[in-house]
Amino acid sequence: MSHIVTIQTEVRDAEALGLACRRLELGEPVHETVPLFSGEATGYAVRLPDWRYPVVFDVEQRQVRYDNFEGRWGEPTHLNRLLQSYSVEKCRLEARRKGHSVLENRLSDGSIKLTIQIGEGHANH
Amino acid sequence: MQTIEIIISTDGQSRIETRGFTGSRCRDASRFLESALGTVSSEQLTAEYHQTVQQQPNELREEN
Repeated sequence: MSHIVTIQTEVRDAEALGLACRRLELGEPVHETVPLFSGEATGYAVRLPDWRYPVVFDVEQRQVRYDNFEGRWGEPTHLNRLLQSYSVEKCRLEARRKGHSVLENRLSDGSIKLTIQIGEGHANH
Repeated sequence: MQTIEIIISTDGQSRIETRGFTGSRCRDASRFLESALGTVSSEQLTAEYHQTVQQQPNELREEN
């Protein structure tokens, strides 16, 4: 191996967000203004299971807004699972755009491993 | 074979490893994913990366 990079996910792609919702069998994200406990938020709203308020992704500002009252109004694992699925779908989209093949495996700890095989002629681009 | 391996944890944090690249080409190869996914919180260059980078000046001196 040559280098290792750790990345904190930012939701910036509405298409990948839609694919992530489909993967988790959630409703399609809708761009709207929704009320939260305090104020309102505009962006792609996703209704997570048993969450009192939607999670709102502003893909242009790279911000996510929600109010789950430190877990009492919504289980944080649902949001984490959505972020994981988003990352998977975003990687698959970007790899496909470059013509690379992707292999997906779920690991025993719940992580998902993607292996992207670089096609001939793509390595130096 | 040149591959990029991404492990996405249950909280959505991603760890990208490149395999089979020489020197800084690994950075070029994975940059499209790094910039697409979010903010880089850490980067670690492995021994393989350093070995390859160190070899390059020696090879140049031999040629000259």
